[in-house]
Amino acid sequence: MNDLSVHFEGVSKIYPHFTLDDLSLELPTGTIMGLIGANGAGKSTTIRILMGLVHQDQGLVQVLGREMPREQAAAKLDIGFVSEDMRLYGPATLAWHMSFVQSIYPQWDQAYSEMLLRRFDLKPQQKIKGLSHGQRVKAALLLALARRPRLLVLDEPTTGLDPVARQEVLGELMAVLADEDRTILFSSHNTLDVEQISDQITFIDRGRIIASDNKEMFLERWRRLRLVLSPEGDLPSLPGVVEVGGSERLPVLVTNRFDPAMVSVCNDAGATVQAVDPMTLEEIFVANVHSRREKQTV
Amino acid sequence: MNYAMVKRLVLKDWYLQRWAILGSLAGIVATLGIIATGAKIAFLLGLILLIIVIISIGAHMAVATIVTERKEQTLPFVMSLPISYREYTASKIWGNLLIFLVPWVTMVVGSIGMLLWSPSSRGLVPYTAIMSAEILLSTCLILAVALITESQGWAVAAIMVGNIGVNGLGYAFAHIAGIEKGMWGPTIQWSGAASVVLLAEFITVGLLLGITFFVQGRKKDFL
Repeated sequence: MNDLSVHFEGVSKIYPHFTLDDLSLELPTGTIMGLIGANGAGKSTTIRILMGLVHQDQGLVQVLGREMPREQAAAKLDIGFVSEDMRLYGPATLAWHMSFVQSIYPQWDQAYSEMLLRRFDLKPQQKIKGLSHGQRVKAALLLALARRPRLLVLDEPTTGLDPVARQEVLGELMAVLADEDRTILFSSHNTLDVEQISDQITFIDRGRIIASDNKEMFLERWRRLRLVLSPEGDLPSLPGVVEVGGSERLPVLVTNRFDPAMVSVCNDAGATVQAVDPMTLEEIFVANVHSRREKQTV
Repeated sequence: MNYAMVKRLVLKDWYLQRWAILGSLAGIVATLGIIATGAKIAFLLGLILLIIVIISIGAHMAVATIVTERKEQTLPFVMSLPISYREYTASKIWGNLLIFLVPWVTMVVGSIGMLLWSPSSRGLVPYTAIMSAEILLSTCLILAVALITESQGWAVAAIMVGNIGVNGLGYAFAHIAGIEKGMWGPTIQWSGAASVVLLAEFITVGLLLGITFFVQGRKKDFL
């Protein structure tokens, strides 16, 4: 049995003004991966390649054991896909959409779809064009979830939603995800959204994956150290320092390999550790991006 | 090719365009009614109206089911379904052609039937067949351009070229000696020229559809 739901190996896609470069990515079955990147970083291109909707120029893509894009039709039978730019047919009702999708997916769960209707507070007889943006996102999620996919791919589903609708969608999504184990790839430029539902995080910037790890590992390993240097003291050499800020006497270091033992290393070097601050996922992402971009410039 | 999936996509497009389809059928019946009155002016008026309705439904279907699908961003929903782009292309071609063929066949059978029923106009049968095939060709051109470019601008350009083609070629065909001769007579005269033109039109239809499948098969980006 293949325990990887998604496997990218050396995947490249070249456009005139953008290149997805040598992308390798693994999504183990049963995990929820958040794909974080700025606008234009390559998240949607990655997801479109995953779905077989864009063909890679190089590299291997396997989704649920199927080679993409060649076996996309078979793979998509087990994938639920919702993207920010996906719209349903305005003149048709949600009930029609449900019946249409049901006719395609033999694993469609009618009872579950009715439960989702209630949970999302959607009316099946309402036409799609009469729904708010938040309701449309919920309708698309319902259509993706009720087909009981082995892999759920969500490409910026919360983009464009107002804060209330975003929390509603995320809240409902988290409640739905708590129902059972699912493999999910969730892309967003909003780190807060991703942090809420993901257990694996991948950062993408300028068409390259710059970091990929367990969410807890990111949050545990990344720290901001506020130091006070004595007049004759030097900045201690610490592992994993990606950013040095502050002033000469009051430096602020960001490390991605924090270890409590670092505090004594600093003290031994004549630097007092004033504070060790945990970092949010957004801060970690921004520091990561800056550090990589600086390396590229150098 | 997953034909069951292609069929579902075709039925989906028909359902979403049901009012346009029913409207065009009603238009066809109404124009045939005008033609059936038997007056010469009614015949000419009815024929023009019939051609307008047929060309309009062909162009409308191509724009509404292909260009609008991309423009209104329902294409990602369709492409998230278990289909390949080949099946998507097949569904669009079949869905559009079958819908077009319903009024088109009605028009061909109706107009040729009328001509056969009126003994003095039977000579127009070959020309009517040629012009009917020309309308089919024009619709296939619009369909091919809409599918390959998925652009409203190009689709509009194809509609214009198609219309100019129907009128221009219609005029040119009417002046080919082998077709012109006996056109206004009481008997059907199938000349070699009429057969060649008709055959060329159907070959061009086949080529257009073949090229569409070929180009679509080589596309690498679908969204």
